[in-house]
Amino acid sequence: MNKLTSVQDLNALRAKLVADRNAIKKSVSVCLGTGCRAYPSAAVADAFAEQVKKHGLEKDIVIRRTGCHGFCERGPMAMIFPEKICYFQIKVEDVPEIVERSLVNDEVVDRLLFEDEATGKRIAQQHEIPFYKLQNQIVLGNNILIDPKSIDDYIALGGYSALAKALSDMDPIGVLQEVKKADLRGRGGGGFPAGIKWETTRNAPGEPKYVIVNADEGDPGAYMDQAVLEGNPHSVLEGLILGAYAMGSTQGFVYVRQEYPQATQHIGIAIEEAKKYGLLGDKILGSDFNFEVMIHQGAGAFVSGESSALMTAIEGMVGEPRPKYVRTAVKGVYERPSNLNNVETWANVPLIINNGSDWFRSMGTDGSKGTKIFSLVGKVKYTGLVEVPMGLSLRQIIFDMGGGIRGGKKFKAVQTGGPSGGCIPEQYLDTPVDFDELSKMGSMMGSGGMIVMDENTCMVDVAKYFTSFLADESCGKCVPCREGLRQLKRILKKITDGNGEETDLQLIEELGGFMHDASLCALGQTATNPVMSTFKYFKDEYEAHVKDKKCPSCVCQALTTFYIDPEKCTACGMCFKQCPTDAILGDKKVVHIIEQEKCIKCGTCFNVCPTRFSAVVKIPGTTAPAPVPFGTKAKKSSKGDK
Amino acid sequence: MEKTKSRIVGVRVNKDQEAMLSELQKRAKMTKSEILLQGLETLAEYYTLGPEQEPMETALRRMEKDALHHMMSLKKIRRKEEAIRDFVREIRAVDEIIDKHGCDKSMLIQIMLDVQKQNNWLSKPALLWISERLGVPMAQIMRIATFYTAFSLEPQGRHMVQVCTGTACHVRGAEELLTRMQGVIKVAPGETDDEQKFTLKTVNCLGCCAMGPVITVDGDYYSNPNVEQLKQMGEKYE
Amino acid sequence: MKDVTFKIDGSDVSVAEGTTLLEAAKSIGIQIPTLCHHQDVESAGVCRFCMVEVKKGNRTRLVASCVYPAEQGIEVQTDTEKINSVRKMILELLLPVAASGPIKALAKKYGIEKSRFEVAKEEQTHCTLCGICVRYCDQVTQEHVAGFVGRGVKRKVALMAEKGDQCVFCQKCYDLCHGGRFIEIAEGFPEIL
Repeated sequence: MNKLTSVQDLNALRAKLVADRNAIKKSVSVCLGTGCRAYPSAAVADAFAEQVKKHGLEKDIVIRRTGCHGFCERGPMAMIFPEKICYFQIKVEDVPEIVERSLVNDEVVDRLLFEDEATGKRIAQQHEIPFYKLQNQIVLGNNILIDPKSIDDYIALGGYSALAKALSDMDPIGVLQEVKKADLRGRGGGGFPAGIKWETTRNAPGEPKYVIVNADEGDPGAYMDQAVLEGNPHSVLEGLILGAYAMGSTQGFVYVRQEYPQATQHIGIAIEEAKKYGLLGDKILGSDFNFEVMIHQGAGAFVSGESSALMTAIEGMVGEPRPKYVRTAVKGVYERPSNLNNVETWANVPLIINNGSDWFRSMGTDGSKGTKIFSLVGKVKYTGLVEVPMGLSLRQIIFDMGGGIRGGKKFKAVQTGGPSGGCIPEQYLDTPVDFDELSKMGSMMGSGGMIVMDENTCMVDVAKYFTSFLADESCGKCVPCREGLRQLKRILKKITDGNGEETDLQLIEELGGFMHDASLCALGQTATNPVMSTFKYFKDEYEAHVKDKKCPSCVCQALTTFYIDPEKCTACGMCFKQCPTDAILGDKKVVHIIEQEKCIKCGTCFNVCPTRFSAVVKIPGTTAPAPVPFGTKAKKSSKGDK
Repeated sequence: MEKTKSRIVGVRVNKDQEAMLSELQKRAKMTKSEILLQGLETLAEYYTLGPEQEPMETALRRMEKDALHHMMSLKKIRRKEEAIRDFVREIRAVDEIIDKHGCDKSMLIQIMLDVQKQNNWLSKPALLWISERLGVPMAQIMRIATFYTAFSLEPQGRHMVQVCTGTACHVRGAEELLTRMQGVIKVAPGETDDEQKFTLKTVNCLGCCAMGPVITVDGDYYSNPNVEQLKQMGEKYE
Repeated sequence: MKDVTFKIDGSDVSVAEGTTLLEAAKSIGIQIPTLCHHQDVESAGVCRFCMVEVKKGNRTRLVASCVYPAEQGIEVQTDTEKINSVRKMILELLLPVAASGPIKALAKKYGIEKSRFEVAKEEQTHCTLCGICVRYCDQVTQEHVAGFVGRGVKRKVALMAEKGDQCVFCQKCYDLCHGGRFIEIAEGFPEIL
């Protein structure tokens, strides 16, 4: 790898790489994002390599192990080029056929294409699949085309051309103005205009200035930043370098959570490669601009993703928030001006510089320009990452793209904004996703997590879940957050244990207002959002728990009872065998009975009872019907026992 | 030459005494003459100590005890040497990590993460050494070690089981899965079993929401395992 | 360093730039109550007892006066209904955890006889986690023996074992504790790590 000492060098290299790339006639991109590694995708990728080698075509067919393609529900997945055929749920045994028919030849393996449920048609092209149709993957789109460990792949696709443009045609203020004009709002949760933050940092006194990538992504259920950092680390790095140029910074940091080993590895490789090419370090591309980047890993604390906490951790001290009355853009790391932005925010910067702020503004709504990546997870049929222009409705995302609720159940609510956000019920499904619109609903865009919930989700349990999460993650410094969450957790547990009282509901409301006003940082200030929003839209569930001592959705273990319907039990014995506490009395041909005192409510019997019998039921409340005498004959199963 | 009586340095011995001498010969690897002379020396020593001295038997038993004690001390010293060698090795490894990060105070958390990864826990000596070299008070190090979930101040099990309790996994039944897991491997979250085989931890989002509820064991992923599969898993990992 | 002029409780006050609202108020004879503040150590802003209402432009919000720097033209209120309700809630939340003499007396002063909250017996640590002892040991005696460990409700003050036995000879932070920790426990700190 030779150092590029000028923009001309970079252009010459790019021309060569493009030519090399065009010379390859066929290639396949196999998704090896972390979500897909949980499938045997690595084995599938290995199988591709093996098969291509068997055909003696290693020089003619390129196999790319890429980052996340987005359609996580249907992994392992791959795309064949140049035809752009998408294959899903690939098994290792399918690979020889794919290689033979689609790579060596130009055929399509129909059974591995996506099947449209409504029409029964098989769809080969990604943009025609409902999950992808409404997407606009300006940030995620290149994942499928590059090997994230290869800077050459990135350059071949135009990578670092924005940096070249900035260094040769624009001055730092010009770059800043372009980002400001584009109206890029922070994608990490705050939605604060990035250009204005950049300007504050640039104008604040003090050297050196720092630019930081927040890759802590603490919201559970959100993994967009993982996909971008793992799949296209250079896009983030280029954005960071552009920001450093615009703000006059010489030192950058990437703070990445330690639960993301692959992302950490890939950004580490990216930094090394960029250094070798002279895109980092001294005299970048022959200019006067010097810039270094260091990686800091998190160590397992949600609160360390808060900006002042993150900066404290970078200094080597424990990552707790500080009372923030002077902006970190003015006084951050070592009291110097520090600009912190989210991974997705940085990844948008090279696009804005290359295509212009007008192009960026052409997408989205008045208040929220551009696109946003959401993680569509939970009870939705098609789980995965979607990148949509701002302004699409929740209904479009959850139903048109996500396929609606899995298992034919009914939609109940969607949680957005993570632990600082709120639940949005059915009546507001047509709300457009936009920073301000979602805030009006009592929720927020947050980092982009979209947890879909159905009729079997208990909203009191959801409130308890988020409160417990925040109680565990609170740093404990300030009284309102630490003690407030302690009491909230205790009260919600009391309610779900069946001991709730009316006064408890009043206390919750009072605590909410207090914590919002008095907490030291945003964790405490927004900690009651999940509770308050579920309270607002699902008060009846709270009342059922408190007054009737029942969990209508049969989730809260203390207020749910498992029961084997004697009319339906065929004595197949599946539950008997698998009960972890041997709480089921049973024998051949007799109705099985759950001994309620031994039942730990793990749900195993419910899950293993064959669907055609569905003899195990969950009953809201604390009492089961009186058991039939042991020895009662079981109904005969019409299709045999197993 | 086999005789019922033999002459050794002019001493007559009977069969029993001869057997005893042969045994001593084997053990001490000395000639019969040397043994007899040694015995005479011991007796002489004994008799010069005066008539108030303990009976011969007791004296011999005391010498045997001394010899045993000496042997145990040698064993202990060897074990101690081994322990010191292990300790030095551990500290040297910590040193390398500190040097890799430029002995820079701002890299304290990164250094601790690397040490945790290498040894699977943070031992007191390791932390004391970091405190020494970086010039950072133990109070600060312990603050960090007890604040973050990535660190363990106790040795952990050979296999790390993580149950994802992120929101997406939660709505898909992560709590039930956790209860099932506890029922099978008999460990509470955050703890290690008595045989140091499994450590169970909950983690907030592994980023595989499509497979939820998901668990990992030593980095291998499993989607919604039932009790059977969990029991098999329990046996697969030693 | 230039001066800034602003209003506290209707009165004009002029202080050096960077002065906290707490100090500025003191300079004109207004004593804002605090729990985690001590003149010998740096302010932490964690008890939230010293909160005041600040009006800047047309935006009013509650801020911790011990760390908020004085700004030109702001209007500060130190004793409003909202502030009082916040202080009451802080005490009501602390009572079950740290019902020491000083805390009980303070609660009574704010009209709280009994708290509506409760904690389990093992959570009654008698510590308000104000951190004065930790900051004193860090910044004044500079022995770094006392430190925080854990997070959330598991957060507590601990002694570093390597130096813990020296505390008996120092004892400088004992009198600083109003949570009652040292009053309840005769010798030294709760935990040696």
